[in-house]
Amino acid sequence: MIALEAVGKVFAGRDGSRVVALEGVSLDVAAGEFVAIVGASGCGKSTLLRLVAGLVPVTSGAVRVAGETVRAPTDATAMVFQAPTLLPWANVLRNVTFPLRLMGRAGGDTEARARSLLAKAGLAGFETKLPSELSGGMQQRVAICRALLQQPRVLLMDEPFGALDALTREEMSLELLRIWRETGAAVLFVTHSISEAVLLADRVVVMSPRPGRVADIVDIALPRPRSFEQEGEPAFHAAAQRIRRTIYQRLPDAA
Amino acid sequence: MLRSVLPGLLTVILFFAGWEGAVRFFAIREFILPAPSVVASSAWAIWPTLLNHTLTTLTTVMLGFGASVLVSLPLAMLIASSPLISAAVYPVLVITQSIPKVALAPILIIALGANEVPRVIVTFLVAFFPLVVAAVAGMLATPPELIELGRACRAGILQQMLRIRLPFAVPFIFGGLKVAAALSVVGAVVAEFVGADAGLGYLIQTSMAFFRTPLAFAAVVALALMGMVLFVVVGLVERWLFPWSSGATPAGASS
Repeated sequence: MIALEAVGKVFAGRDGSRVVALEGVSLDVAAGEFVAIVGASGCGKSTLLRLVAGLVPVTSGAVRVAGETVRAPTDATAMVFQAPTLLPWANVLRNVTFPLRLMGRAGGDTEARARSLLAKAGLAGFETKLPSELSGGMQQRVAICRALLQQPRVLLMDEPFGALDALTREEMSLELLRIWRETGAAVLFVTHSISEAVLLADRVVVMSPRPGRVADIVDIALPRPRSFEQEGEPAFHAAAQRIRRTIYQRLPDAA
Repeated sequence: MLRSVLPGLLTVILFFAGWEGAVRFFAIREFILPAPSVVASSAWAIWPTLLNHTLTTLTTVMLGFGASVLVSLPLAMLIASSPLISAAVYPVLVITQSIPKVALAPILIIALGANEVPRVIVTFLVAFFPLVVAAVAGMLATPPELIELGRACRAGILQQMLRIRLPFAVPFIFGGLKVAAALSVVGAVVAEFVGADAGLGYLIQTSMAFFRTPLAFAAVVALALMGMVLFVVVGLVERWLFPWSSGATPAGASS
């Protein structure tokens, strides 16, 4: 579904210097696969998502989504950001339908689909509330519903639970899995949390910083549906340990 | 409601009582400082005339204020849409603001004739700058993720402006509108000082020419009331049309 072929990304720094954000990143994500990306800050994780979303052009290599080279944002992808980034002036329902209305893709069934998605995310009865009336976790649920309503074949999530407290975060991660399984979308999920990555993903891509490269790809052989009980299993520990070692061996000793 | 108004009301009453007492105690002559009771009775004696002058000024204020809104919002969108336009337009705006409007008024009256037009233009010039600045600040304060969301939905620059940046700037714009409303009263009076045959500014000038100080004070009170009413009306319109905006500080609107 997603094919990255030796993708490189160079930004021009403020002083004219070249900042290599990504170098030689190759990755294939199958349809319906959940791939997590972990790595230290500055390893280009977010940039990678934006390349796939078509928000940022590649410097070298190619990004393909559903077989087509990505040059601009397409209907195939939808994105969830770290902050909920809801429209403060629109109620929950209108926030969820906003992208489709903006793209002129809203149809007669859009509202009904939005309502059923919201219900699945535990937000039934909140359709007419404003974002400011919701908790941080609920706002992020709205943002996830907003992305899923676009029926993307690729769901890009940039630390979607990064701004939430630890308990809400755990609760929402399993909820996300439950909703995602019904959509069959491929997911690229950027996170700082190793345990979150292992719990959620089919594969975990470990990235190393400066320049951002793929350091390791770890298959997570845990059966689905996932649960927190699996965190006690040897396979979970082995995967987490391998990821941790890859990340820390590449950091300077001082860190 | 009453509780929040009461302290301010008490202060005002105390102020006028002190004024009245001081004028009586020190036997200050009327043409130097009239007592509030004298101001009130002289206003009452000619209230139809006072009302006419008030309506004349109000017309100038509303026309100038309306023009400033009509010009400011598109101008702000233009400035916010591109750093190049911003760099080209902002210096010109600052120059127009650096010119004292009192100095400009007589020139405009010579050029455009002694009619409503130069007065409206002076009012407009005084009011529109804070509005442009506030609207631009609001549009540029739009979270980058919201802009990315728009881009991911393939929104063009016009859609981005109208459906994301402009609504986001609403709390900022109303902050600017409140300042502009108060300033348009100032602008209208300044213009009337220079060239008018009616209006509260004209009334103040003619009253003072004949040392009818109480009447001038009555006109000042009418102006103060006009400014306050406009300020409150802007606040009410905000609460009525944009309930999500009022009360929320612009900075808090994004969280």
